[in-house]
Amino acid sequence: MSNKIKTFQELIFALQQYWADQGCVVVQPLDLEVGAGTFHPASFLRAIGPKPWNAAYVQPCRRPTDGRYGNNPNRTQYYYQFQVVLKPSPDEIQDLYLDSLRMIGIDPLTDDIRFVEDNWESPTLGAWGLGWEVWQNGMEITQFTYFQQVGGLECKPVTGEITYGLERIAMYLQGVDSMFDLVWTNGPFGAITYGDVFHQNEVEMSTYNFEKANINALLEQFSFYETECQRLVAENLPLPAYEMVLKASHTFNLLDARGAISVTERQRYILRVRTLAKAVAEAYYASQVEK
Amino acid sequence: MSDFLVEIGTEELPPNSLQKLGDALQQNLIVGLKKANLTFTSSYNYVTPRRLAVLITDLASKQPERIIERRGPALQAAFDKEGKPTKATLGFADSCGAAVSDLDELTTEKGSWLFYKQKQTGEKTVNLIPEIVKQALKKLPIPRMMRWGAGDNEFIRPVHWLVLMYGNKVIKAELFGRKADRYSYGHRFHHPEKIAITKPADYVELLYKEGFVVASFEKRKYLIVEQIKKINKNTILKEDLLNEVTSLVEWPVVLLGSFKAHFLRLPQEVLITSLQKHQKCFSVADDNNKLLSHFIAVSNIKSKKPKQVITGNERVINARLTDAEFFYNNDLKQPLEDNLERLKKVIFQVKLGTMYEKTQRVAKLAEYIAARINTDVKDASRAAQLSKTDLVTEMVGEFPELQGIMGCYYAKANKEPKAVAIALQEQYMPRFSGDSLPASKIGQALAIADRLDTLVGIFAINQLPTGDKDPFGLRRAALGILRIIIEKKLELNLADLVEQAIENYLQDLHEAWHSDPKPIMEFFFDRLQYWYLEQGITPQIFAAVLARKPTAPLDFAKRIQAVTKFQKLAEAEALASANKRVSNILKKAPKDISAAIDSKLLIEPEEQELAKQMAIKDKQIRSLYKAKEYTKVLTELAELKQPIDNFFDKVMVMADDKKIQNNRLALLTKLRELFLHVADISLL
Repeated sequence: MSNKIKTFQELIFALQQYWADQGCVVVQPLDLEVGAGTFHPASFLRAIGPKPWNAAYVQPCRRPTDGRYGNNPNRTQYYYQFQVVLKPSPDEIQDLYLDSLRMIGIDPLTDDIRFVEDNWESPTLGAWGLGWEVWQNGMEITQFTYFQQVGGLECKPVTGEITYGLERIAMYLQGVDSMFDLVWTNGPFGAITYGDVFHQNEVEMSTYNFEKANINALLEQFSFYETECQRLVAENLPLPAYEMVLKASHTFNLLDARGAISVTERQRYILRVRTLAKAVAEAYYASQVEK
Repeated sequence: MSDFLVEIGTEELPPNSLQKLGDALQQNLIVGLKKANLTFTSSYNYVTPRRLAVLITDLASKQPERIIERRGPALQAAFDKEGKPTKATLGFADSCGAAVSDLDELTTEKGSWLFYKQKQTGEKTVNLIPEIVKQALKKLPIPRMMRWGAGDNEFIRPVHWLVLMYGNKVIKAELFGRKADRYSYGHRFHHPEKIAITKPADYVELLYKEGFVVASFEKRKYLIVEQIKKINKNTILKEDLLNEVTSLVEWPVVLLGSFKAHFLRLPQEVLITSLQKHQKCFSVADDNNKLLSHFIAVSNIKSKKPKQVITGNERVINARLTDAEFFYNNDLKQPLEDNLERLKKVIFQVKLGTMYEKTQRVAKLAEYIAARINTDVKDASRAAQLSKTDLVTEMVGEFPELQGIMGCYYAKANKEPKAVAIALQEQYMPRFSGDSLPASKIGQALAIADRLDTLVGIFAINQLPTGDKDPFGLRRAALGILRIIIEKKLELNLADLVEQAIENYLQDLHEAWHSDPKPIMEFFFDRLQYWYLEQGITPQIFAAVLARKPTAPLDFAKRIQAVTKFQKLAEAEALASANKRVSNILKKAPKDISAAIDSKLLIEPEEQELAKQMAIKDKQIRSLYKAKEYTKVLTELAELKQPIDNFFDKVMVMADDKKIQNNRLALLTKLRELFLHVADISLL
């Protein structure tokens, strides 16, 4: 195992440098609440249309229903993904990925690395792809997907997406059983852990998501984002319209965590978000091929 | 003659379709080669996560020679007055690729024609292979194709290399943007380098010795089983899991790990399912079939530090089981009963309402059935009320295949009656064709009620199974009901049950309801026929019983049994044709004949004798029939063979005297009725 990477932030630096060296634009996290790195415009929108694009970035992800009040060592409502998108997906994409593992200290002749079929589908984004989850000794550390459709549009060329689960990989590298015990960095006053940075946030946000979020206000907001999105698409402003899709999607997730949406309604909400995502995707596609 | 090898090197293929893909590729190639008239000796397929390959041995090097014979225009139309070839002749010669001077004449008694005969040498195999392979790949059963990169190629997963060899030569071809060559590649990590295939027959050994790849699926599976047995002979070797892990490795190395022993308090099914579904690991039991806190993982490398691989797997499995335990504890916090209210939010089928409503209908039906099969109505009702409550538990949310099983565990924990708990598990039996049936009466009542409610509901909204599509599993449901009733010898009448089930919907839905029981009964009879044919009952026997439309399945089964035995009697054939004859005569006879037989009008001794024997039999079989002793009924009736034969030999039914004629027809009508009691023997 490499001795280089000891802390959570060093892992991020190493991956950023590695993918920067492969020619990726290292962009910064999206400043809106999203459930996965795929929602970042650098993945979702850039996967649409003919133009090539390579990018890498960290994305904080919010999944309100996954909150466990900071009690579960493996599950939180806020965590990090490291996202890489390569368009068109290069022939050697799997090898590039495996080299990145070697670089951070995972040796595939010591650890059992496996590509296990896991096809990806995002009902809210009208997107799907084929690929794998990557296992390291039985643990899923990465999602690997060849986008086939995004926002209902065929991906041509195809974007290859690599999503690292940063906490899981760091837990392995640091040999700890709880993500809250991860060393984020060693500062002048000693080790700063993931727990130091985020535990209080987990407790309070779980409480908010499950117990305190204002249902009526959220329902109103959802409708507002929906109409706002439609208006902006009509005015041919796909990028601001896309932000409304993301806000609507997160609002839906909060309502879901509050248990405010029944089983039957759930499908309808998902369909409403997908309809928005498709409209935005089409508007964005038009802007790409016209220019 | 030489061997032929094709190998497609890919990124990791979906494990559950791997075997099917290998078999299909082999089959498709065989079809292609046969169509091209290319002979060979044998064929083998090799599939691993990263390759699909087929080896064909002793493949002919070219197609056999063919003689091509074609007839052209008639001779009188072939040349003009000046002896020059006509347009038709020129066209014919052109289409044959020959000069007019090469054409022969053919004369038969019907006339004379221009004629062309040519020996066509067969095409070389190496020129035919690329197209044959291309077609074979195109016809693979691939549920979802994908594209990759900037190209338009489509396959299951991206293609990286292509080996196409005939003998020791590479076949020139390009597929998926890859030029065919002799180079394969070894294991992703142990031997990522090229491996030059010297000749097709060396393929398997080269991959094994140089490449760390066991190419044969069966060989890998065997190696895995051998290694597992060496570690622990009580490993639970589920076939589907075994096939899946075999599809996920090229170089199997089996490892033994353990999880924290306190998880053994979880239901065994939970442990087994969690290990299998999430981690693709096998469970290990002791000599008494009790699970141990061990698991077996199949890795894909000969690790430098196997302990590290084991520790990694243990960490994940402990985390997974912590989740499962969390679900289990949460589920135990509220009794199943409390979940009933939540079923009001779970849709059974959009047009048929919620699971809660279904539960209420099933409860009524289960009570009805319980009363008729002499079991505890209260328990049946309780079991039905709780039957779907485990669907909203966290454990079943995580592992849907544990429905019923979790219900049983939770019901026991809630101190529900034992019979109720068992019924919750048994309601889903039989889960597949040939599966065992519910053993308890309450389980049987619930299993029938649940399926019948679904069947009747789905029929009413007209979503019947078509072809191979049966989304609600109605065929299986119908057969399940029939099997339970027949094999468990339940005195239940399907017609009554269906009526009852329809009645429940009518009360429930307060709207126009398409409630015709007839197609439902026909569906049942259809399934029954399918089932009996599978067991070797002839269509004739089935038809003979079906003619009587017995709506109690157990009664139906008894009749089938009786007719099957009857058919083995020496008299059977003669009696069947006698019945046919009687039936034909009666069909043509006037409908208004009197049913009563007037003994004074019986003139011939043979008809007197028949009437006498029939009267005796009529008495004898009456009580037998009531007691459903169908075999005895038919054995008794078989004794009528001689009097019937004598009757037809000596007596003219359609006598000139109308009175006598009518009397004889009445006699035959009575005879027909006697036989029709059990089944329509004339159909045998």
